[in-house]
Amino acid sequence: MAIKVDLTREYEALVEAYQREGLDTSLFGDRIAAIIISGDKIIGLNNVPGVEIKGEEIENGVRAEVRIADNVKLPFPIHLCTGYLKSEGYQRVIFDINVGRNSKVKFTSHCIFPYAKDFTHEAITRIKIGEGSSVLYNDEHVHGEGVRMVSKTEAEVGKNARYTGKFTLTKHRAKELKLEMVARLGERAVLELETKVKAVKDDSVEIKEVAYLEGAHSRANLRSTAIAFDRARVNVINEAYGFGDYAKGHVECHEIVKGDADVQTVPLLRVKNDKAELTHEASIGRINEAQLIQLMAKGLTEDEAAELIIKGLLGEW
Amino acid sequence: MLCLRNVEYSQNGRRILRSINMTFRDGISYSILGPNGAGKSTIARILMGELKPTSGQVLLDGEDITDLSITERAKLGISMAWQEPARYEGVTVRDYLTLGGKLKVGEDEIKEVLELVGLPYELYAHRFVDKNLSGGERKRIELASLLLLRPRYAILDEPDSGLDITAGKLIEVILDRFRKCGTTVILITHHEGIALKTDFAYFVCGGRIIRKGLSREVVEYYKNRRCSFAEG
Repeated sequence: MAIKVDLTREYEALVEAYQREGLDTSLFGDRIAAIIISGDKIIGLNNVPGVEIKGEEIENGVRAEVRIADNVKLPFPIHLCTGYLKSEGYQRVIFDINVGRNSKVKFTSHCIFPYAKDFTHEAITRIKIGEGSSVLYNDEHVHGEGVRMVSKTEAEVGKNARYTGKFTLTKHRAKELKLEMVARLGERAVLELETKVKAVKDDSVEIKEVAYLEGAHSRANLRSTAIAFDRARVNVINEAYGFGDYAKGHVECHEIVKGDADVQTVPLLRVKNDKAELTHEASIGRINEAQLIQLMAKGLTEDEAAELIIKGLLGEW
Repeated sequence: MLCLRNVEYSQNGRRILRSINMTFRDGISYSILGPNGAGKSTIARILMGELKPTSGQVLLDGEDITDLSITERAKLGISMAWQEPARYEGVTVRDYLTLGGKLKVGEDEIKEVLELVGLPYELYAHRFVDKNLSGGERKRIELASLLLLRPRYAILDEPDSGLDITAGKLIEVILDRFRKCGTTVILITHHEGIALKTDFAYFVCGGRIIRKGLSREVVEYYKNRRCSFAEG
């Protein structure tokens, strides 16, 4: 990995943050295609055969272009690391990702803002996936107490291509989070989105996921899970549009509320093709009584039982 | 010794249980037998503390535990497998069995109980206890969970429902295992064949105890004289 010499300390600080959070530090190895961003600087960049990452430092941030050639099958994920190690400020990152045909890649995106007290992070990601390719995009966050985050992702999923997007913010404060994901699907394209967020204290979370099932036989499954404690506010909007012949979409939102939290979920399904089929499933409220009671009958207190159930919902086991 | 003393239970003005007196002695297996709607599951839920009796007492070794919570009763050694075990998204079978690591048991013990209930460890330990499991699989996991817990009293509410034709054999294996580890089983069932596998039985109908005694005698009575009270 090419590391800018004058930024070695920042690089090491990021690696230390990874170690503290139990994240995989092998992602900084030479075999991994990666871009390492700290603030408005690119402090590390590595390319591997079939993957070309170019970065450009812009005002308050970084713009990066990631190109995956045709027929690339990577044994390791591509590492997109965006760090900000100061407590205050603003950062803007723009990723343009272009995946060729018949390739199979995973992205591990880490946003590391461990000391943030008054920090705004804005991310724009555009992903174009070529015919027959498969992309898994894993987005994990380490936040300090005061992060305002606005993230917008636009994905174009080509014919017979697959996009799986996972966003997790469960172990750290969400504070102010606006997350938007819009995907357009071609013929027989598949979209899977999974979002898991925990909001506490006075956190405010808005999640919007939209799937345009334009291609024939395209499929989408959008799943959001939100846990809201204390005075947190969570609003989840899942939209699916069935345009293509035999397009099939399912949106699912589960929200658990505890304390004075305020949560809402809005599913919107629209079909403009009588061969398309869309469904939705939502639950909102306190933890299911039967789940609690049956664990308590094994000796757990109500709080311990709730913790086990919530950890499961957030995928923390 | 676990007892119900003069337990009555009403709901929305309807009497579900009337003057229920039951005694469960350590080392003996029991069944509570009766048709659907007889009040059997209500008795189980009162024993576990999910429901409070309208009047009467639940006694453990002579101490009144009627007002104790479910968790408090579980800590005293009373546990239960529900007729419809809940599903837990994102919780693996292994995590469920160990209560998220709170129950300190070895991997070999987990393997043993899973295989005892007919679920190969390699295939099931890392599966989620969610809607992708069939009703029968979920039921077997619940039984494995109680086997691992080794409570003093295990209340099994309709343990054979939702299971395939091997259910009878499985119940025998479970009863044998509980017997060996000193657990007193209280088995709720409407199948006389299942009740026959226990030592002692109560025949409940219309919220009343109609007959009690050795299981084979009670089952004989049950077969010949069906419940004549209105259900519930």
